[in-house]
Amino acid sequence: MSLTLNRWRFYVTPERVLSVCFIVLLAYLVVVPLFMMVKETFIVHPLERFQIPGSKVNDFTLAHWYRFFISESAYTFFYRPLVNTLIISFGLSFLALLIGGAMAWLVVRTDMPLKETISNWAVVPYILPSWTLALAWISLFKNDRIGGEKGIVSALTGFEPPDWFAYGLFPITITLALHYFPFAFLLIGGALRNIDAQLEESASLVGAGRLAIIRRITIPLIVPSIMAAFLLSFARGLGTFGTPAFLGGPVREFVLSTSLYGNLIGQRPGLGYLAALVMIVIGMLVLYMDHRMVGARKSFVTVAGKGARLGLIELGRWRWALAGFILFFLFSVIVVPLVALAIDTVMLIPGVYSWENLTLHYWIGEASYSIGLGTGEAGILKNPQILSALKNTFSLAFVVAVVTCLMGILVGYAIVKRRGTFISKCLDQISFLPYLIPSIALGATLLAMFAVPRGPIPSLHGSFLLLVIVCSISALPYAVKAGISAMRQIGGELEEAALMAGAGWWTRMRKIIVPIQKSTYFAGMLLPFISVTRELSLVILLVTPTTQLATTISLLFTDRGWYPYTNGIVFILTVVVVGCTVLSRRVMGTSLAKGLGG
Amino acid sequence: MPDIVLDKVSKSFTKQTHAVEDLSLVIPDGSFTTLLGPSGCGKTTTLRMIAGLEQPTSGEIIIGDSVVFSGKTGAFVAPAKRDLGLVFQSYALWPHFTVAENITFGLEINSVGKKEINKRLDEIASALRLDSLLERYTSELSGGQQQRVAIARVLIMEPSVLLLDEPLSNLDATLRMEMRAELKRLHRETGATIIYVTHDQLEALTMSSHIALLKSGVLQQFSAPLEIYERPANRFAADFLGSPRINFVDATLDQDSLSWGDVMIQLPKSAKKDVGPRVSLGLRAEELGLSRTCGPGMVEGRVLTVLPTGADWYYQVRVADEVLTIRHNDEIPFNYEDIVYVEIRSKSLKIFDDAGSAIL
Repeated sequence: MSLTLNRWRFYVTPERVLSVCFIVLLAYLVVVPLFMMVKETFIVHPLERFQIPGSKVNDFTLAHWYRFFISESAYTFFYRPLVNTLIISFGLSFLALLIGGAMAWLVVRTDMPLKETISNWAVVPYILPSWTLALAWISLFKNDRIGGEKGIVSALTGFEPPDWFAYGLFPITITLALHYFPFAFLLIGGALRNIDAQLEESASLVGAGRLAIIRRITIPLIVPSIMAAFLLSFARGLGTFGTPAFLGGPVREFVLSTSLYGNLIGQRPGLGYLAALVMIVIGMLVLYMDHRMVGARKSFVTVAGKGARLGLIELGRWRWALAGFILFFLFSVIVVPLVALAIDTVMLIPGVYSWENLTLHYWIGEASYSIGLGTGEAGILKNPQILSALKNTFSLAFVVAVVTCLMGILVGYAIVKRRGTFISKCLDQISFLPYLIPSIALGATLLAMFAVPRGPIPSLHGSFLLLVIVCSISALPYAVKAGISAMRQIGGELEEAALMAGAGWWTRMRKIIVPIQKSTYFAGMLLPFISVTRELSLVILLVTPTTQLATTISLLFTDRGWYPYTNGIVFILTVVVVGCTVLSRRVMGTSLAKGLGG
Repeated sequence: MPDIVLDKVSKSFTKQTHAVEDLSLVIPDGSFTTLLGPSGCGKTTTLRMIAGLEQPTSGEIIIGDSVVFSGKTGAFVAPAKRDLGLVFQSYALWPHFTVAENITFGLEINSVGKKEINKRLDEIASALRLDSLLERYTSELSGGQQQRVAIARVLIMEPSVLLLDEPLSNLDATLRMEMRAELKRLHRETGATIIYVTHDQLEALTMSSHIALLKSGVLQQFSAPLEIYERPANRFAADFLGSPRINFVDATLDQDSLSWGDVMIQLPKSAKKDVGPRVSLGLRAEELGLSRTCGPGMVEGRVLTVLPTGADWYYQVRVADEVLTIRHNDEIPFNYEDIVYVEIRSKSLKIFDDAGSAIL
């Protein structure tokens, strides 16, 4: 009896229990919702009963698939948004690679001055909410298409930007590229920095010229990082909602994410879920392509060489010119937009840029139907609705940061401890899955799963918990990646030494593992905190009036044309996320690059 | 084929310190010359200067008939034009190429024809036993295989000088022994001049025809391995070569005799006279003998530790207030705490003055 018990105790190790628990949990929260969503595309929803004659709710139907892919309205529902999405996603990824890659190369491989400053500033665009630039674009280049007010540019110069420039695919691609280029900068920069200088030296020893070395050695070596950066920007761009909503809406250009949203909150949930499905399929296709092109055999880690000084390429008199140009560029995509947003929050009548028009009404004014826009809303700092949304945002960000950090530690632990086993691989794969699901589509799957009660689980729709779940799942791949690398660094022996000393599992985690890697884990908390603070796409489908977040409420105000409020809220969020980043850097020495694994 | 001449070569990375200082060497054609020294002694920097990856601050480097670097005239010949091959410590194999691609890259860059490339690849692959690995990626190879690829990659260019930067340091002990023999065979077969960098004195002793011993960027001694071992130019050289480490004992110099405790040793006429009286005497483990009975010229000691290595017996013996390591294989082994008598059996005395240079 006691022998069996002992064997049993030997078998039931913490890492086994953790692995199994997490696999079950994640399967329930990620895999099952995917299937639920697919099911939703085949059934009749309450609102669709009248569109599909003679049907009852929950009947099986192919009508959604027919309407979405084949019917004469398929072009509006699907094909046009699909083409737009692909144009934007490819365009922004290429552009982001170009900008980020060039900057990374200049910073790592040349003698350009002010590298430190440039590196620090280059990640800021990613920290800002993705649609900050979209709002700023509107503030700057707005023309009279969306009524009354003028943009700053047209007010100052009298020049009216044409529609294609002010709205639609062009500005969406540009602003998203400017938001996502830090991925390329961090990933490619990291890869370039890690290239063993000897790999290039040995090529030059056999007579390869500088160009041949770049073409045959350097670029192939960083191809995995280039592909990773491309994939990341592509997938993020695919699932982003705010920017295309703000910039595409006025000219009625839709992408899959806005089409998904429109259909889902409209009366066509079946079509909305189909759009989400298409987005997920595209995301997986891109990853598959990446996998095929880079290939498992060629996927290598570049290992830093032994103290070999990497020869910096001399730019000569271009040094300062290039540094100045990059700083000017960063200034234009960081400071200019923020100033533009700030200016719009203190202009009583939008579009009139004069000293008499200066006001703090939109910040601290009382609710009024006659002053300024006459919105009947109190100023941002006095508005209970906005303040409660801000409070929700920060509680959510905090809770998610803690939850993902814990999950990162535990899942990383379980994966590394059981490395090589089927269970470990399974857990690794399943925790990576959310990475492939465009964020708005991830929201859609959870909506499909939890909008109605299922078995013992009540409907979670409109609950804070559902927001926590969706944000945690979305941040999970990064957290697990950080957790795995933290555990690898510690190695098994430190823990085994504690085990030999008689420490139980809980003590080992608390006294050994977590303290050693606390800065890594802290960096792992920073990233989800920032992403949640500025998250819109992920939560847009799941918020209800009681769980309104700062980002979603700003969307609401944008819809009504109340830009000063939107801009003010975005401004607050920006200040908070930048402040957090700077603070954590000062206090803990953590950097975002670490969290991104770049 | 060329001698390699380094003439007063210096290299500094910062203003204050020299990585290499006033280094003058003539590396004979066809030799297996080892640059030996502790880490940070400038050996790798020297190698990289010969390769052309690093430019000296001053001095001149001549390979054969051509001045490949001159601080005076500003001459500089690009690495690829120096007819030499370099095997890096990390091997620096390109991870995105297969073994075959790694080996043939240099020929390809130099627009050698496909046929010729394949012919040479076949030759080199069979010589280095890489035939079955050609289609693999380098991450799929073992350490020893990776190293053979790194060597093949260099040899296929048929350089007249082969530079090796600590090529064995990443291998395990058994493999290292094997590769030592293999490199020696390679040297014999190709007839190329080999310049080899290592911090491992045993590697240097077993493989080289010449050793250049460096310390803090300054050449200490340049001779044949056994010459350095037998007649070290200074205390550092005596200490750095040999395992176990040489014993140093304090001795007193008086006219032409040396006394260590009660032991008196007559010095040859050639000894420097203007030093002393305090000197240190270097005694290698095998230059000391042990005995159970006292005889003339012996000092009493007590066994502290017995260290058998299988082939040899080593003892740590306390003599007065010094601890000596002694190899002794005759007779029945001694035991811990045994009283023994120590005798000096040196063929060549290693005596160093205060500044550490040899006085013989």
